[in-house]
Amino acid sequence: MKALILVGGFGTRLRPLTLSVPKPLVDFANKPMILHQIEALKAIGVTEVVLAINYQPEVMLNFLKDFETKLGIKITCSQETEPLGTAGPLALARDKLIDDSGEPFFVLNSDVISEYPLKEMIDFHKAHGGEASIMVTKVDEPSKYGVVVMEESTRKVEKFVEKPKLFVGNKINAGIYLLNPSVLDRIELRPTSIEKEVFPKIAAEQKLYAMVLPGFWMDIGQPRDYITGLRLYLDSLRKKSSSKLATGSHIVGNVIVDETAKIGEGCLIGPDVAIGPGCVVEAGVRLSRCTVMRGVRIKKHACISSSIIGWHSTVGQWARVENMTILGEDVHVSDEIYSNGGVVLPHKEIKSSILKPEIVM
Amino acid sequence: MESSDERVVAVIMVGGPTKGTRFRPLSFNTPKPLFPLAGQPMVHHPISACKRIPNLAQIFLIGFYEEREFALYVSSISNELKLPVRYLKEDKPHGSAGGLYYFRDMIMEDSPSHVFLLNCDVCCSFPLPDMLEAHKRYGGMGTMLVIKVSAESAHQFGELVADPTTMELLHYTEKPETFVSDLINCGVYVFTPEIFTAIQDVSMHREDRANLRRVSSFEALQSATSRALPTDFVRLDQDILSPLAGKKQLYTYETMDFWEQIKTPGMSLKCSALYLAQFRHTSPHLLAGGDGTKTATISGDVYVHPSAKVHPTAKIGPNVSISANVRIGAGVRLISCIILDDVEIKENAVVIHSIVGWKSSIGKWSRVQAEGDHNAKLGITILGEAVTVEDEVVVINSIVLPNKTLNVSVQEEIIL
Repeated sequence: MKALILVGGFGTRLRPLTLSVPKPLVDFANKPMILHQIEALKAIGVTEVVLAINYQPEVMLNFLKDFETKLGIKITCSQETEPLGTAGPLALARDKLIDDSGEPFFVLNSDVISEYPLKEMIDFHKAHGGEASIMVTKVDEPSKYGVVVMEESTRKVEKFVEKPKLFVGNKINAGIYLLNPSVLDRIELRPTSIEKEVFPKIAAEQKLYAMVLPGFWMDIGQPRDYITGLRLYLDSLRKKSSSKLATGSHIVGNVIVDETAKIGEGCLIGPDVAIGPGCVVEAGVRLSRCTVMRGVRIKKHACISSSIIGWHSTVGQWARVENMTILGEDVHVSDEIYSNGGVVLPHKEIKSSILKPEIVM
Repeated sequence: MESSDERVVAVIMVGGPTKGTRFRPLSFNTPKPLFPLAGQPMVHHPISACKRIPNLAQIFLIGFYEEREFALYVSSISNELKLPVRYLKEDKPHGSAGGLYYFRDMIMEDSPSHVFLLNCDVCCSFPLPDMLEAHKRYGGMGTMLVIKVSAESAHQFGELVADPTTMELLHYTEKPETFVSDLINCGVYVFTPEIFTAIQDVSMHREDRANLRRVSSFEALQSATSRALPTDFVRLDQDILSPLAGKKQLYTYETMDFWEQIKTPGMSLKCSALYLAQFRHTSPHLLAGGDGTKTATISGDVYVHPSAKVHPTAKIGPNVSISANVRIGAGVRLISCIILDDVEIKENAVVIHSIVGWKSSIGKWSRVQAEGDHNAKLGITILGEAVTVEDEVVVINSIVLPNKTLNVSVQEEIIL
């Protein structure tokens, strides 16, 4: 079975992290974002994943070679020379997605994190016998998104309404599709929107069905949602009683710590914290609602909350870092510094406090 | 000492990547020394100035960038000037004088009688032949270019005191906290080969002191400020100029022309204007002319690359520099800006006090502008590479990182 992951462009909303690596390789819960999806696909028997990209293919390809062998799944890239929107890339990768088996193929949006109930989606797709299945998720504020209006009993999709002013429904497109090969005949090789052009046509023919996504869903393409997404992800690990969660008297709530990371005496870690490979957390450190990427050193008595600390950075002794502070790669915060929402580009030293949210270039 | 074929060599320090964050976002894809001012790469201006030195044998560029980043430029400029220009990469920081010493064998390979040392990010008229003549008259080991600045700004630089008759350097101090003098170091020097001995003396002296330190346990308790530097790390200002001041070895040559440091994108716009003004005297053929009949109306000093296309109804200038393959549409107004390669500016748009990055697109009736304070953080609007400003959008006093599309107006913002 095949799958396509829409990786797209520059990931500018996740800067400064994406100034160092392309977005799919930014770590989430100690694993590159795209690996969460590739592993879910592998688990239900997908043998080939095509990545639709238009930025830094060399970096992606190098990384993928490692994972192809480790995971035993074929990974290829389909590179857009001009941005093709959300449907165009499918036409571009047509030859890779269709084979003689006539099986449907998955399409995933790379910014999405969820439990990926793909096996259930395959069963759902077979049961209704339509041409395409789309996963939808319930949200509190549907007007921020595109709402999918469907018939409750049959789950047949009636229409899509973009950012509706009046309430028409609370289910939005979760960015996970299962499509029959015939859908590719509907897509031309030009910039095309799957929500605005392709799906409405299939819905009009009564062949598009929507499955409500069980479990959590988050678009982690920007820092605030990334931090919320980590909470939801760790929460779902807890529900599955995962052994991946850290335990100990210094742990509060849901926390994951890479086995190569070191944590000193007298720390209090959690809730909702991820500590990456090779990190050193010195004595007396408080971490909550934050991600600490590979190779970071947090010095003694520091306190970090609601922030992301980029690869190989350091946070000084008694420093306080909070309120959506995002440190890019190789950023060094001096001792006793306070950062309130500083967004710091790579290779910088922070020697004076940041009192209100500010970008440091 | 005087010989009829005295050769001169020039060394230009171009700096390197890890310290260059002040030039963001323009430095993301292009090394700062290759960023264009008045249509020519920044390093081209000191290089052209060196060409005016009689008996110039070679030019060396020394920096921390990868060799491949300079390979193309260096080979093309060598061909153009019919003069060897080489890029040498420092493997680790040696300090501003240590770098010169590290490559001394190559620098001295033609046995030059004099070595010029220039900093790439200095913008001035580079009166190098006159400096060389003055240096020969003084008969010292080195002569440095100096300029008077306002008393308030002097503390940002190396302040010095010179004898008004002999022009000897009497006192030198780097970035002092209290006022010493309004005469400052321009970062342009000429030396005799004795400079290498002077640098070597600093290294050896430091090594001797390091040996002593191992013996004394009291010295081992000293604070961080006297932490020993590696023996091969020699700074020109603190280790050579300050100690040798007043010993009849170093002299000064004062310039009355312009002088600026190009540390930020805002300053690059100011320096581009200074060089354009200089072209009016030195190379007027490089400046554009036009009166709106067959070609666009040109006001003041303007550079337009030969491959750029400018609609005749546009009005350009003063202080505008337009790079290769740019397309300027009908009715566009450009004032005080640098338009980089492959940019498209659509009809009736206005750009003032801004730098528009490579491949960007400026929409119809849109307005990209800033107040024009070259020293303020958001005083000049900077658009990075491949930024799209949609029709009728206004961008004021902002910095936009590469690959962004602006479809709503913004003011006083940094857009990541």
